[in-house]
Amino acid sequence: MLEVKNLDVAFGGSEVLRDLSFTVAEHEFVCLVGPSGCGKTTLLRVLAGLTAPTSGQVRFHGQTIAIVFQDYGRALLPWRTVSGNVALALEARGIPGAEHAGRVLPLLQKLNLGDHADKFPLQLSGGMQQRLQIARCLAQEPQVLLMDEPFGSLDAITRQELQDEVARLARDERRTVVFVTHDLEEAIYLGDRVIALAANPGRIAEIVDIELARPRSQLATREDPRFLQYRHRLFKHLAH
Amino acid sequence: MAAIFPALVLLLWETLSRAGVLSEDGFSRPSHWAPALVKALGDGTLLTQTLETFGAAFQAVLIASILGIALGAVLGLFRPLERAAQLTVDALRPIPSVALIPLSLLVFGFSREMSAAVAAFACFWPILIVTTASVRGVDPRLLEVGRMLGFSSGKIILKLALPAALPGILVGVRVAAGIAIVVTVTTEIVTNPRGLGHGMTMAAQGLQPDLVWATLIWIGIVGWLVNWGLLRIK
Repeated sequence: MLEVKNLDVAFGGSEVLRDLSFTVAEHEFVCLVGPSGCGKTTLLRVLAGLTAPTSGQVRFHGQTIAIVFQDYGRALLPWRTVSGNVALALEARGIPGAEHAGRVLPLLQKLNLGDHADKFPLQLSGGMQQRLQIARCLAQEPQVLLMDEPFGSLDAITRQELQDEVARLARDERRTVVFVTHDLEEAIYLGDRVIALAANPGRIAEIVDIELARPRSQLATREDPRFLQYRHRLFKHLAH
Repeated sequence: MAAIFPALVLLLWETLSRAGVLSEDGFSRPSHWAPALVKALGDGTLLTQTLETFGAAFQAVLIASILGIALGAVLGLFRPLERAAQLTVDALRPIPSVALIPLSLLVFGFSREMSAAVAAFACFWPILIVTTASVRGVDPRLLEVGRMLGFSSGKIILKLALPAALPGILVGVRVAAGIAIVVTVTTEIVTNPRGLGHGMTMAAQGLQPDLVWATLIWIGIVGWLVNWGLLRIK
């Protein structure tokens, strides 16, 4: 589905990513975790095609890619309503305006924004704004959804809610997801596989398959002994 | 409250004029303005001139906005192009717009277009510069959103860059609207035999200072109304 081969990225002589290779299978939920400065965001931007690699390859098989940015406030159009922001993705796909309402509303309902269709992004809470950005990405009907620390600036409760929503969406709609986070527990909770990166320069430290049952639950899964074992095993990669 | 200051000035003016301190050749009494204004409005000359002048100014702002916003958006988004255009802009911008009056007269003859062309040149620069700066200031994240959605560069400009830069661009257009009226009236005073500028020249030559003052007041009123209208649109 998505294949990264011998990827090197350097900015002005300083090496950011060194010799990264991994593949992401169809419908897989892969989490990239690592300490700050390990190039997680750069890697995601390379996957999105927003940053060019210095050498190496990123191959995806002709599918659409959407990216959810961490800073939702900067990624939404403040002059458009909630539904207008989602409709932007439909406009990009050349879908006739008459069909927009019929497609936007179900998406908003799916993300619990159904009652806020006519509000403007600045009238929404942070969690709702991030939901809106996710709704817009889903409107692209992407095969691959890239998420860059999407819940990094949200409070703990909103964060857990959104984790469960994203897990459910990925499952129901059978999307392939690459999810960047610096929160190890979040990575284990969400991922089918966790790729831990090491810093300076960014490289793969360890890849772990997460064999926890789905659907996962904030209480039971996090108390599962295997969850703690995964956490124990991966923790060393996050220490400085 | 805001009217107190002008009212006091007019009162002082009227008093000094009646006392013979101010020469009536130039400083016509404020009490004579209203009758002159009513008369010029009544016989339609003032309205015709107003339509002429403000029509030319509007044409100028329209042309300058279309060209200035389009070019400004492109220069604001593509840094190398902006650097390449810098020299040309810096060389053309200092040319005083009124220095183009003779040329514009040759090209357009005595016509509304002659005034509009000169004013459009003057309006183009502030709109271009403000648009370039505003578009350059648009959050790069928004442009990335456009790229990820698969929009073409043209669509990114229309759907993301320009709406995001709009508040800044509107400031440029308002500044240009003021410049347009100044330059249009100037062309009419200097050569073009039409509009309010020409009307005032004729009134001065016919020794009608009350009409000159009445026209000036009238330009002020209409200009204020236009500005108020632009603010309302915003």
